[in-house]
Amino acid sequence: MAGHPQLDPDGLPFSADRIPDDIFDEMRARNLARWPTGAEIDLDEAAAYHLAMPKHKQLGWVMRRADEEGRCLTQPRGGFGTLELQKELMTCLDKDGHADIVPTTTDSYTRNEQWENAANGIEESKKAGRSMLNGYPMVNYGPKVTRQLVEAIDKPAIVLSGTSMPRLTSEVGFAAGYSGYLGSGLAYTASYTKEVTIEQGIRNYQYLDRLAARYQDLGVELHRRQPGFLTGTNIPPSIAILTCIIDALLAAGQGVKNYGLELGQTLHLVQDAAAIRMARELTQEYLQRLGHDDIFTPVTSLHWMGAWPYDDAQCEALVAYGGTLAAIGGAVSVTTKSSHEAFGIPTPEANAAGLRTTRMAVYLARHIRLDDMPEFKTECNMIAREVRPVMDKILEMGDGDVAIGTIRACEAGVMDIPWSPSNHMKSRVMPARDADGYLRIFDCGEMPIPKDVMDYHHDKLRERAARDNLPFDHELAVSSVYELSENLETLIPFPWAAE
Amino acid sequence: MSLTPEQRGKLTLVTGVIGADTHIVGNRILSMALEKEGYKVVALGALTPAEDFIKAAIETAADAILVSSLYGQGELDCRGFRDMCIEAGLEDITLYVGGNLVVGKQSWNDVEARYREMGFNRAFPPGTRTPDVVDMLDQDLKGRAGGAAA
Repeated sequence: MAGHPQLDPDGLPFSADRIPDDIFDEMRARNLARWPTGAEIDLDEAAAYHLAMPKHKQLGWVMRRADEEGRCLTQPRGGFGTLELQKELMTCLDKDGHADIVPTTTDSYTRNEQWENAANGIEESKKAGRSMLNGYPMVNYGPKVTRQLVEAIDKPAIVLSGTSMPRLTSEVGFAAGYSGYLGSGLAYTASYTKEVTIEQGIRNYQYLDRLAARYQDLGVELHRRQPGFLTGTNIPPSIAILTCIIDALLAAGQGVKNYGLELGQTLHLVQDAAAIRMARELTQEYLQRLGHDDIFTPVTSLHWMGAWPYDDAQCEALVAYGGTLAAIGGAVSVTTKSSHEAFGIPTPEANAAGLRTTRMAVYLARHIRLDDMPEFKTECNMIAREVRPVMDKILEMGDGDVAIGTIRACEAGVMDIPWSPSNHMKSRVMPARDADGYLRIFDCGEMPIPKDVMDYHHDKLRERAARDNLPFDHELAVSSVYELSENLETLIPFPWAAE
Repeated sequence: MSLTPEQRGKLTLVTGVIGADTHIVGNRILSMALEKEGYKVVALGALTPAEDFIKAAIETAADAILVSSLYGQGELDCRGFRDMCIEAGLEDITLYVGGNLVVGKQSWNDVEARYREMGFNRAFPPGTRTPDVVDMLDQDLKGRAGGAAA
């Protein structure tokens, strides 16, 4: 089994500073030597390959155009264990699903740099005639073979690889012609790992971002993207946005110019619109405060990331509503799910249907905005009042260095996320849904959220506890985790029938 | 027939999410609920290799191992789990597995049969709620709890 050599370069102290060129060259050489397909990578050749692609297959350009034209693009997730299955999937999502952005999700062995296990998974998948892996083992196939996937579609392609160890996968993905890459140092380390330190995760993504900036120097603007959905379980907007700001500052430090921000939907129309608005505004505020005034930060809205119901019809409502929320909120793209979500990975057909349902919803809702609604303004204001004190404290703890500040803040619980599997997060912050359907913070742990703001959250949650006849305790948070996966009889009964 | 919290207190359960899988939320809620019902719970958390479940079960003389898997690759991760238990001297340990146990939407009967064949005493489909797990544990472990069931 391949280990996890943390290739922290010698003599490079941990900070938000740009990795110097000579040290980065050494880091790259060591990285590419870790698996045979690394030898296929030549940066100049890869950049020329990108430049030769039509603009509409380059995600950096497509995201900018969509933003200018007020479009909400659709993108699913999807990955299977062999090249053949993956090609069929991507073609189906492009043609039958009308996807604007076509994904390749990597399998979990690849994400954890267990390439020998992934090789076994490819063989097992071929033997079984079905995918035994939950994604495409990109490093095993290597960039040359993987270009067949990019060439099989007529849309931009993005790599989705939930990991804190993206170094080799990103090299392979970019060299294969993928112009988008999802992942970031704080968000993924806090939500996808147990033992990897936040410091290691940030360093690994500084590598990825430095690599994207190298392409930028060669004339290729790649689209980097931050996964603010975190653990996917009732993440209040302010917490997601804090990770957006931190990861965007870290990426900008390495020279990235095109950086998307992802937000999982709360499923409250007003709260989601406020979150989308404030993610971009607050990220720009801090980028500019630290001297980065030319970073493009479009927002992507994600279909519900928590537990899904088992009934196809209920799922279809979540899919359509998710398209509506993204369009009204003004997201530049929406990441879709399907009616198979509760059962795991969808078939290509179900995945394509989820895309079309979403696309129609986006079409229907595309002109509606909530800007003048008092509730919208209140939520925007609440989000800003939660984010700024925490973000300011993080920068203060790092003496202005966001990387160092983040490490110290996570250790102290000043920066925290709910339901984290990581040993390096306190995970004391606890969200719950209030009586009106907004996600609120039941317990902010050590996060320095002002008292009057927390009083507001508590008042709203007490209303819910009273209505549902629940005690005002952690049970509110736990019941909120499964709420949306309940069946219709539970969620919305007809209570007047004879006893 | 359910056990009393005192009887459950004599029983040790090892929980965790197997393989390269990070889906911790359901497993954590299950672990919290089992503890609240009186069981001794050794929670290994996300991203737990098969060997670690077995090591923990030996160290704590556990009565059952509850394996969660949500990401679809459980079929690869759980292969040989029962054999590893037997090799480690845990012939009689009760093995449960639950979650999204295969890639994609497949017939639950097939999936359950596949995991029973692998040596798991019970397999639970996605969406199983904690009280159902407690009922099954009470039933399967009552012989080990000592004293009459309540």
